[in-house]
Amino acid sequence: MSPESGTRIVLDRPRCEGHGLCEEAAPHLMHLDDDGELVLEERELSPSEAAAANAAVRVCPVAALRIV
Amino acid sequence: MRAQGGAVDAGASRQVRRAVVVGNGIAGLTAADTLRETGFDGELTIFGAEPHPAYSRPALSKALLHEGAGGASAREPDGVSRPTAHELPPPLHGATELLGTHATGLDPDRRTVTLDDGTTLPYDRLVLATGARARRLSALPGELTLRGLDDALFLRGRLAARPSLLVVGGGPLGMEIASGCLAAGCRVTLVSRGTPLHAHLGPYLAGRFTSAARELGLTVVETGTVGLEPDGTAAGGARAVLDDGTRLEAELLVSAVGYVPDTGWLAGTPLTADLTAEEAVRVDARGLVRPDIAAVGDLAAFPVACGTPGGARGAGRGAEPGAVPGSVPGAVRNGVPGAMPGGVRRVPLWSGAIEQAKTAARALLHGDAAQPLAYRPYFWTEQFGIGLRAAGPLPPPPGEPEYVDGEPGGGPALLRWPHPDGTATAVALDYRIPVPRLRRLSSGPA
Repeated sequence: MSPESGTRIVLDRPRCEGHGLCEEAAPHLMHLDDDGELVLEERELSPSEAAAANAAVRVCPVAALRIV
Repeated sequence: MRAQGGAVDAGASRQVRRAVVVGNGIAGLTAADTLRETGFDGELTIFGAEPHPAYSRPALSKALLHEGAGGASAREPDGVSRPTAHELPPPLHGATELLGTHATGLDPDRRTVTLDDGTTLPYDRLVLATGARARRLSALPGELTLRGLDDALFLRGRLAARPSLLVVGGGPLGMEIASGCLAAGCRVTLVSRGTPLHAHLGPYLAGRFTSAARELGLTVVETGTVGLEPDGTAAGGARAVLDDGTRLEAELLVSAVGYVPDTGWLAGTPLTADLTAEEAVRVDARGLVRPDIAAVGDLAAFPVACGTPGGARGAGRGAEPGAVPGSVPGAVRNGVPGAMPGGVRRVPLWSGAIEQAKTAARALLHGDAAQPLAYRPYFWTEQFGIGLRAAGPLPPPPGEPEYVDGEPGGGPALLRWPHPDGTATAVALDYRIPVPRLRRLSSGPA
């Protein structure tokens, strides 16, 4: 459940449709910019961020996000 | 108070050694994930009737139907293109997964679920998430439906030969299917009770989509009623019969006339004693049927406030193929303790299933200390070259919308229909806008 050290969120950009449900689930980790493009925090996830990150990945209806 | 409640809850959680989730769609999957995130570290079993890992149902009638020609697909070693639009990241719950397994019975007193292989599975906490199946107009094999992944792959396979197609049902699902089949090069006729999408999106938006559909070559036939009858061939083909007696047929017939909660396996249990067949399981505001059993997703009817967006009949799906209001009553009768004036309703939407599952999983472990559902629906559809996203009640109120951005006559636009209470229905047409911003437009003044 907890992310192993070095885990982070990655985006498969061609899949992203810009719904922004992920931003709602994890606003500290990602947001859509003015052009509707998803901007991810480019850093490793801390254990306290795991739940939000998982929720963001899960809520994406086009599965554009993964935790690696 | 809070700390004391938490201590009691922790004690209760420790007594939960075995949790079973029946159904491996997005609702069941999210419930299993949330049980783990909420601290449940006991034995977790999830099973699904389909042989596939959990997938994104919204994709089935959208990208999956027509992605083959260069969309998101992977090429197998044998050179066959395999669609990937529906694939979800692997689950995190670490549960024992039993795929291709049906539940056949439930004994809530002994706390056991029976499987189709005869196994009896004990539980301390149970999540019902068996979803729904497509409503059919006939038993004819020639009547295709689109609900599960196998349905979508079958239809997709048939489209390669570019058959003529008759789609019965003018809801979001029927229209998405018609759109995907047109894009695949088929000649498509759509039969709709009244104007397509009118009941779901109101006259203004329905007009936009129907015009776009006609321009792309869709033949729309409006009727009062529609039935199916055998087409006289030995293959069990079906044709449509309209209220004026007109018969319509094509090489393929797909119906999209709503869905039926998959609650048959609960027949005879106290949970369904007062339910008629094909009715959803009624739950409280935390998704519980009783303290040890939750129901989430398309088989559950949650209490919703009057006018709650998405819960209303006709709010459609945005997510779930099969839920085509206009033919299906969205509202179930009142009766859940604590139900709000709006009654109890299914909310067959992607983000609705996810929020229900999170709420209910927490309530299974923490009871009344868990937050009740506070769901704000989000609906989307893609068809005939137009993408729509909506926050707030659907259909919107009658009349023309305000143009927050863009202008009448086509092109990307951000629309808003105000309600008397200061909220609004906010709709983005071909307009990239994050959900949080769309929700802000819906929750207050523009």
